[in-house]
Amino acid sequence: MTNALEVEDLRKSYGDLDALKGVSLTVPEGSFFGLLGPNGAGKTTFINVLVGLVRASGGDARVFGHDVEDDYRKARDRIGLAPQEFNVDRFFPIHEVLEHKAGYHGVPHDVAAERAERALKQVGIYDKRDTRFDWLSGGMKRRFMLARALVTDPDLLILDEPSAGVDVQLRRDLWDLVTELNERGTTVLLTTHYIEEAERLCDEVAILDRGRVVTVASPEDLMDRGTDRVVVTLRDPPASAASLSAVLPGDDRIEDVSLEEGRLVVTARQGGLVAPDLVRELDRAGHEILDMEIKRTSLEEVFVDMTRHDEGDEDGRDDANEGAPDDAPLETAAPGGGEGSR
Amino acid sequence: MNGDAGAVDLTGFLTLTRREVLRFLRRPANTFAPPFITNVLYFSVFGVILGERVGTITGVPYILFILPGLVVLGAVSNSFENASFSIFHGRWNEYIHEVLTSPLSYAGMVGAYVLSAATRGLLVGGLIAAIGWAIVSALFRPVPVEKPAYLLAFMLVITLLFASLGVIGGLAASDFDDLTVMNQFILRPLVFFGAVFYSLEDLTPLLRDVSLLNPMVYMVNGVRYGFLGVAEVDPRLSLAVLAGMTAAAVGIDVLLFKRGYGLTD
Ligand SMILES: Nc1ncnc2c1ncn2[C@@H]1O[C@H](COP(=O)(O)OP(=O)(O)O)[C@@H](O)[C@H]1O
Ligand SMILES: [Mg+2]
Repeated sequence: MTNALEVEDLRKSYGDLDALKGVSLTVPEGSFFGLLGPNGAGKTTFINVLVGLVRASGGDARVFGHDVEDDYRKARDRIGLAPQEFNVDRFFPIHEVLEHKAGYHGVPHDVAAERAERALKQVGIYDKRDTRFDWLSGGMKRRFMLARALVTDPDLLILDEPSAGVDVQLRRDLWDLVTELNERGTTVLLTTHYIEEAERLCDEVAILDRGRVVTVASPEDLMDRGTDRVVVTLRDPPASAASLSAVLPGDDRIEDVSLEEGRLVVTARQGGLVAPDLVRELDRAGHEILDMEIKRTSLEEVFVDMTRHDEGDEDGRDDANEGAPDDAPLETAAPGGGEGSR
Repeated sequence: MNGDAGAVDLTGFLTLTRREVLRFLRRPANTFAPPFITNVLYFSVFGVILGERVGTITGVPYILFILPGLVVLGAVSNSFENASFSIFHGRWNEYIHEVLTSPLSYAGMVGAYVLSAATRGLLVGGLIAAIGWAIVSALFRPVPVEKPAYLLAFMLVITLLFASLGVIGGLAASDFDDLTVMNQFILRPLVFFGAVFYSLEDLTPLLRDVSLLNPMVYMVNGVRYGFLGVAEVDPRLSLAVLAGMTAAAVGIDVLLFKRGYGLTD
């Protein structure tokens, strides 16, 4: 099976600024892939290289096996892009803009007209078909961007920050539609800095930070790598955490044990798995448990940890990443992470 | 894939050409009213009022002498303006991305922009010829078209040439003002010193030689030959040189698109 996207050591410099510092990624056909990163991470630059709006300074990118420069026509025909910024022809009513876009992809005029109608219905703005883009409301503009990406029947649908400035209803609609397309076989590449979006939709996410891929994993795996807090209320809490530490099993997933306002707080990776052992050991030591709560780490916390920049740490980070396995930065970010630092 | 590569390119090229032509056809007031008014004024002031004093030039009434020049002026400036504006406006509002992210070949993109802009030039040129014809016929005699094949060939070549130069202008511009500058400070002087309003014979030998460096002289001369059948410079040579320049300009356009000049970061 060919991959929808194969990118090797992709680099892009804007003058002195290195927006992409050697990005390598593989997006399997049919997957729902998230590209997560803070503003300025290089997500849009990455995407624009694929569609030919940005020229790479180095490296290779292939879309369904077609090199984006040498074989640009085949590569571009497979991609439907809903860009972050509105870039729509303002001279024509929107149904004609769609017909033109399909036409540029070689779709004959009559078929293009049907495609345009279908795309407008899919995103729910068919009744606005004779309106020009400038006259649509903000939400409708976003819907239209998706319609334009769909009108060419893409095999790889790329959505660059689709829910920026979009209300809840529209976001749900977009998510439903895109999920349905993905289930019917369209590969989706979504960039976002809304973590919830990635958590709900993506099979796999790459975290991009300052032009580098920090890690590639499923959202679940990422959350497992974060630290959870198990908060236990005891009937007779001891005076110090030290006496409790001795009670607990030697579990290397546990990173910290403390007492906060008379409650025992255990910080651990995979808190859900640690909790039963914890209960058993506390019980065995004669503590009566009144209440227990597991505060699962959110993907957002993991994300913030992984893309956090302390002053002047850039060089150190870069060295740590050089040739290191994808998950190396996670290990360096973990100590002192989680709730303790907030 | 939405179709095989050749078919994609033909459909894509035709779609973009159609889009570009519709853009100016759907706004007839913007496209045709300005050249209409300007040329009615030119013909009235230069042709009728001034013409009475000038009398004949190279054996024809002055108004008839300037008609080919005014046709050239309108045709080339509209070709140039349409291509440069369309490309620059698309870059400015970034909707040219709709084209750039498509599987059209670079030659297909350039071909569509050039052909549609040349179409506008031809239509405006035709409009000006019609205005001139109406006024000249009313005053003197019907306007002759002595060498229709030459007339057509020259009109085609010069509109294509200025359309492809307009593409370069649209790519090079970084501001709407740049477009105005190109038109006012480069195009107009070339046209006005291109023997539109006077005969080369009226110039001193030195000025005449300098004028021959101006490509516009050959264009006006060629179109005048098409109408009147008299030429100051060999029309076949003019046509060959202009066709060569057009081929070169289109080649440069394709190269610039390939390189992404003004189009990609
Ligand atoms: N055309 C450009 N010229 C110069 N710098 C740019 C350009 N486009 C993007 N950048 C810079 O490249 C970096 C990555 O930008 P971008 O790809 O837009 O990030 P993201 O989409 O992740 O927010 C940023 O520092 C941005 O300022
Ligand atoms: Mg972006």
